[in-house]
Amino acid sequence: MSAVPPGPAGNALSSDSAASRRKSAAIAFILNPYVLILVGALLTTAGEVLLAKGSKLAGSAHFVGILNWLGPLAFGWTWIGIASYIVSLLSWLYVLRFIPLSIAFPLINVVHVLVPVGAHIFLNETVPPRLWAGVGLIFIGALVIARPLMKVEHKL
Amino acid sequence: MTRRVIFLAILCQLFLVAGQIFLKRGMRQTPAPQPRRRVARDLALGIALQAVWFFIWINLLEREDLSRIFPFEGLNPVLLVVVAWLVLKERVSIHTALGVLLICGGIFLASGS
Repeated sequence: MSAVPPGPAGNALSSDSAASRRKSAAIAFILNPYVLILVGALLTTAGEVLLAKGSKLAGSAHFVGILNWLGPLAFGWTWIGIASYIVSLLSWLYVLRFIPLSIAFPLINVVHVLVPVGAHIFLNETVPPRLWAGVGLIFIGALVIARPLMKVEHKL
Repeated sequence: MTRRVIFLAILCQLFLVAGQIFLKRGMRQTPAPQPRRRVARDLALGIALQAVWFFIWINLLEREDLSRIFPFEGLNPVLLVVVAWLVLKERVSIHTALGVLLICGGIFLASGS
């Protein structure tokens, strides 16, 4: 016998439990390790792009001496970049708790897709066709690994 | 590209892979919880090995063009999956193997540009 879906009477009884159900569903979605791999990849990409932005700003500011090395730290972008690296490391550790490394690591390689795209959008860097082709191949590879796993998750 | 550069480029990928293996070993779920000290040791070792990778990599980037060094990054997924299979005894499906080859091919292709 299948479970009885909650009827209108059930809903009227607990409207705020529906809200808390939605909330816990949202939390469950965010804490899904596969979602977190993507979040981590986005954070790493943001980190790379922001560090590049900080370095470029420092480069055009013409610091001298030791400031030439530490120059990027004078820009807020750099600090946000470092922060997103740290958060991405924490989310990676969480992911490793639940997913075999031989699956998680190939998937995190989507950063090789996201970084050129981010550099193109946010830093106005040109992306040669060969790089786009490589990016496409990496993306297909990640899909080949992730798709059968998504089907299993869906059945559960 | 000298032999030294090729050697260093491959060596630093091994550091990256070893670091990931230790991070995974520290975070893995076991029937009985792992002793905290062991977890801390594995995570510290993992982060230290990644730091070694980072410094060798930065050093190589200073001396060589990114496009000549970057193809070595393409070795990572294959190396890592093989080591995870051997050391952590993870099961590797045909989908994973195929996907890893595609990703490596993509990195090689992207790096040539």
